[in-house]
Amino acid sequence: MSGLLTVYAFDELWSLPNIVRYGLIALQHRGSQKYVICLPSNGVKCIEGEDIEISNYAIDHLAVLASYSDKEDNIFYVESDNDKSIAVIAERSWSKIYEFTHELLNEMKKGESSLEAFKTTILAFNKEFDEAIPSLQIITNFREVIAWRNFHGLTPLVLGSYGFDMAIVSSESIAVDILGGDVKKFLGPGEGLYMSRYLTKSFLIDKYIDCGLCLFEMLYLARHDAIINGVSVYEFRKAIGKELAQYLDKEVDIVVGVPETALPYAIGFAQKIGKPFELAFVATGGRRRSMLLGDPFEKMVAIHLKMNPIKSILEGKRIALIDDSMVTGATLKTVSQILRFRIGVRELHLFIASPPLASICPFMVMKLDVQNLLAANLSNDLAKSYLEVDSLHWLSKDNVNQVAKRFSLKFCGKCFGVDFFGG
Amino acid sequence: MKVLLIGSGGREHALAKLIKRSLLEPRLFIAMDYRNPGLEREAIERNGMAYIVNLIDPMAIAKVVEEVSPDLIIIGPEEPQFHGVVDALREKGFTVFGASRRCAEIEKSKVYARTLMWRHSIDGRLYFKAFRSIEEAKKFIEFAGDIVIKPARQAGGKGVKVLKDAQAYLAKDRLEVKKNYVEKLFAEMDSYKDIDYKILVEQRVEGVEYTAMVVTDGETVLPLPLVQDHPHAFEFDIGPETGGMGSIQGPGWLLPFVTFDEYRKTFEIISNVLKVLQTEVREPYVGAFAGQMMLTGFWGPTVIEFYSRFGDPELSNIIPVVESDFLEILDRAANRRLSSVKLMIDESIVTIVKAIAPAGYPDNRKLASGHPVYIDEARIREIGCETLYASVERRADGKLYTKGSRAIEIVCKGDSYEEVYKKSELAVNFVYSLDGHPLFYRRDIGSEELLSNRMRIAEKVRTVYRSRVANGLLGKMLVWIPGEGVFDNPLISFVR
Ligand SMILES: Nc1ncnc2c1ncn2[C@@H]1O[C@H](COP(=O)(O)OP(=O)(O)O)[C@@H](O)[C@H]1O
Ligand SMILES: [Mg+2]
Repeated sequence: MSGLLTVYAFDELWSLPNIVRYGLIALQHRGSQKYVICLPSNGVKCIEGEDIEISNYAIDHLAVLASYSDKEDNIFYVESDNDKSIAVIAERSWSKIYEFTHELLNEMKKGESSLEAFKTTILAFNKEFDEAIPSLQIITNFREVIAWRNFHGLTPLVLGSYGFDMAIVSSESIAVDILGGDVKKFLGPGEGLYMSRYLTKSFLIDKYIDCGLCLFEMLYLARHDAIINGVSVYEFRKAIGKELAQYLDKEVDIVVGVPETALPYAIGFAQKIGKPFELAFVATGGRRRSMLLGDPFEKMVAIHLKMNPIKSILEGKRIALIDDSMVTGATLKTVSQILRFRIGVRELHLFIASPPLASICPFMVMKLDVQNLLAANLSNDLAKSYLEVDSLHWLSKDNVNQVAKRFSLKFCGKCFGVDFFGG
Repeated sequence: MKVLLIGSGGREHALAKLIKRSLLEPRLFIAMDYRNPGLEREAIERNGMAYIVNLIDPMAIAKVVEEVSPDLIIIGPEEPQFHGVVDALREKGFTVFGASRRCAEIEKSKVYARTLMWRHSIDGRLYFKAFRSIEEAKKFIEFAGDIVIKPARQAGGKGVKVLKDAQAYLAKDRLEVKKNYVEKLFAEMDSYKDIDYKILVEQRVEGVEYTAMVVTDGETVLPLPLVQDHPHAFEFDIGPETGGMGSIQGPGWLLPFVTFDEYRKTFEIISNVLKVLQTEVREPYVGAFAGQMMLTGFWGPTVIEFYSRFGDPELSNIIPVVESDFLEILDRAANRRLSSVKLMIDESIVTIVKAIAPAGYPDNRKLASGHPVYIDEARIREIGCETLYASVERRADGKLYTKGSRAIEIVCKGDSYEEVYKKSELAVNFVYSLDGHPLFYRRDIGSEELLSNRMRIAEKVRTVYRSRVANGLLGKMLVWIPGEGVFDNPLISFVR
């Protein structure tokens, strides 16, 4: 998964290196190991890099970019033919990106406007292949940009602006905030924005696919301060935490969340049961999203760095431990080992703020492997023993359904074994 | 009654439509500086004729006026006012609806407008600083924070740069733009020889904008219903500043995001300004006047700028709404007999205006000019909407060509925004480009989505300004610079 960002300055007085850098930093929680920046430059060129914080490229008034994790490949592609060059950036690994870029360029050579060529190519690909087309960003050497949200609406795309000067499109509202802009619109599935110096307009490729937002977007991926389709991520997470509290059947002393994502769930949980919410772990170094890392060893390093415990608050206590989801259980095993052996907690009750994961993601939005899914392979009792917890609770599908409805959201529930939540 | 209308654009076409249905049975003459096909037609239909003349040349206009010998002259745009056309005609004894040169200073010079408000402590004023020299401006800008840079003279809805600057990590980039922009703007303003201050820097505010227009004879102030314009070129309030891509009005005198108190406060500000303006220039203000307002957390109703004329496209919304005899009102204002006149409107309807412009507008007028267009007016009328001709001219070949600005305005009315929005979206389809050059308009104007966004923002700023009222901070902004003191001046940056 990656974070997309388009910055288009209508006034030539702007130069964008710093703006691009901070925009990408704002999206690092969606994949921080790599980034790519595509811009017009004697045709179109794409720059790849690894440490955005120290980047410094000459970028004039427009660029399309993405931050992504090292698990992803086939994220971008550049192709030129005579006087036409285009670059395509996809929001996640897309095996068809080469074919797509090639076809789009062909279509453009027929003399159609870039936008019409884009629409034609998208529709052709949608018909021909089963794989869901990810959200895309296109840039041409004619200084045109297209930012388009996928038909399925699995991931969001937000439109923002800065004064009279800039259009900003991003996977998450955060990037618009950080660049000092205003969020103007949450694009719908199939909706996009065509940008050029003298003409900018929204468009819709009308191909209704009833799918819903990926639940992981709300559960894990987005930042707490993001707004998705008009809903505050923080409030949603708190509401889920409150819902989860109904499964508490033992006395506990304190409520603790696995950092960083699970904190709002724990806050909601604690508020509901009237017990103190405590910070239990402090992270070392920058924030890294362990779940988005490809290399298992790197993943472990990231988890270990996140988890230095505050001993005095935990020692001898009965603890409700909250996490947003459980995929392989590796993080939670680590946490329980710390709490048991390094601290010596009295009781440990684990609450997972989502239902058990049952199958892979058919859209390849989440890279899940069935043989690694804890819930799909271990019985609840076995899982309890493996994780060394006194009790293990999951949010039910019904619960998610109800919370989703309350926020008027519709989620894809395929990896949890249902078609939808809410709606 | 013989009426001479001066002006060439969409606003004048709106005026012509408002006038022609009068019971005073006007013969309509028009002085315009290009062959606007809409105005030309209105003149012929009303037994008058159209003259092509340079509208900022008082002598040339005087010639037309003497030939027509009108009972009433109505001045549409601001530039003829700035160039003394109104004064010249009044001197010759004609009855003129329109601000004199000195009254029009309030639109021409944003520095004068702001200074006037400060001198008389009128609510809704913003902090600003004006500059004559580029050196001085560049020095100031080094330490300026969250600001807007503007040309000091009215430049036809262009040149304003809004530079939100509340992120220290991007402050350097913005400073670069500020400095370069100051240079660019000074170079552009150099061509105006009729001003001393060239640019102004003012406090940036946020909120929802609306226009409050009035007709006045110098004593009585007759408000028109509020209208909201949309200055960004592109959908969802994105992209460069334009003269306005469309506007919404109604139902009634208010807009859905303005309360009655705010409406009252707005016209109180406008009346106060008119009063002190007339005292200062020692001339009655006779004509149209408008406050381009923003509802902000800083003041509530806040003045962004003033117009010494009707808004364009804002006046177009008024066409379907007015029930009174509008010509009679303008005539009475021009004759200074406006007291006891009431403006009747249809309070049950709402109106949406959409402008259609050629790609290139507003930043590349050359690219936007000279493209043939065709308008299927009959179809637009079938939908229940009216067509106004703006920046479009009829050439010798009989065809219509764009002139670089907003070419056409479509005015629709109905019982609800939902209904009118649908109509306007249908109607825009009947404006065609004949050479493939793209035309554009804003689909979002009048939509439910945009309207509810505005209401949300208005609610937010309302919370803010009400708390400022409670704390005695309305219109005040304190800045503390350690070692130097506390200043009431938000133009200073947080990093020094
Ligand atoms: N002080 C301000 N704070 C925020 N936005 C502003 C400010 N002044 C102007 N603007 C924005 O710029 C637009 C144009 O400014 P305005 O003063 O009306 O100049 P113009 O003569 O070009 O119309 C306004 O409609 C508003 O959107
Ligand atoms: Mg203005």
